[in-house]
Amino acid sequence: MHTEQAFTNIIKENEGIIYKVTRLYTNNQDDQKDLYQEVIYNLWKGFKAFRGDAKVSTWMYRIALNTAVLYSKKKKRRGDKVPLEGVVLVEEAYDPVLEQRLKVLYTNIKNLGDVDKGIIFLFLEGRKYEEIATITGLSVSNVGTRMARIKDKLKKEIIKK
Amino acid sequence: MELEEMQTVWSQMSDQLKQQQKLTDKIIIDMTQQKFKNRFSTLSFYEIIGAGICFAAVIFIILNLQKMNTWYLMSASILSIVSLLILPIFSLRSLFGMKNLNLTTNSYKDTLVEFIKKKKQMLLVQQLSAVFSVILIWLVTPVFTMAFNNKDFFQQEHSTGLLIFYALVTIGVLFFARWGFRCYKSITAKAEADLKELESAEL
Repeated sequence: MHTEQAFTNIIKENEGIIYKVTRLYTNNQDDQKDLYQEVIYNLWKGFKAFRGDAKVSTWMYRIALNTAVLYSKKKKRRGDKVPLEGVVLVEEAYDPVLEQRLKVLYTNIKNLGDVDKGIIFLFLEGRKYEEIATITGLSVSNVGTRMARIKDKLKKEIIKK
Repeated sequence: MELEEMQTVWSQMSDQLKQQQKLTDKIIIDMTQQKFKNRFSTLSFYEIIGAGICFAAVIFIILNLQKMNTWYLMSASILSIVSLLILPIFSLRSLFGMKNLNLTTNSYKDTLVEFIKKKKQMLLVQQLSAVFSVILIWLVTPVFTMAFNNKDFFQQEHSTGLLIFYALVTIGVLFFARWGFRCYKSITAKAEADLKELESAEL
């Protein structure tokens, strides 16, 4: 299969991952759109080197999270964007109750530090500790310890409120 | 919201996202191409312009080097050339280092550690540049005075207004450098804390 076609197929199959990561690391739609493109661009850059040694999802999570965490740390936002309205960021399609709960969920996660944010995201995505460790560069036991701490933090947040 | 509830909400969202997949091949390719163009059209625009000005000044000084007829003017010219060459090179190098982090094979933790280290380097270069810029003002002034007017800055009588102007510029740059240094200290302290947190994650 042609490289370009193989790439677009992978992106289309996994576009939800990019949406979720970009929403987690930005605070407005404009930044989200910009980050969305940045992630796709970095995936494209890394695609030729990707030989399938790792799972597609592991590869995507790694690049998407790396891009997102750097994006959130850099202030400058520049350059034109491909219009994405009505393409991927259609929150209106959600059930309003679900959307409200999602806002609470995202607020909770955004309050965590960079490392914990990445870990909880991967955990919610249903990744096993081994895969989370591979993507984050932490040991499996460390992922477990951090998950326990994250649970505590979340509980404390509930008590505060 | 507890973790179990978060998992339920997250999986509901994931299910909805699966149903509304709307990216097309064209949009994906457009996004990669647009981002590629943006990289080159906006890549460190101000820093490159600044470096261009520095290099133009170097050429100008070299072309007028034969006019520097005293040891102090010649020394000031050479020091100006060295500073005007080194400062932008270091600045661009640190900037490109930040832009060229390996996001495709590095782990999340390595990316953060590398970013923090490069950021600290860049801030240090910025601080040194601010300090050197004060020295540079006093180095290039006599050199440019000779190059433009064929007059020795140190042998001339200067109007009070001009001297006040130089004093104010120097004070202004010093204040700016001091403010920058405080920001540098606060940012690097935060970066150090982040780095410690990340490195403790290895234990």
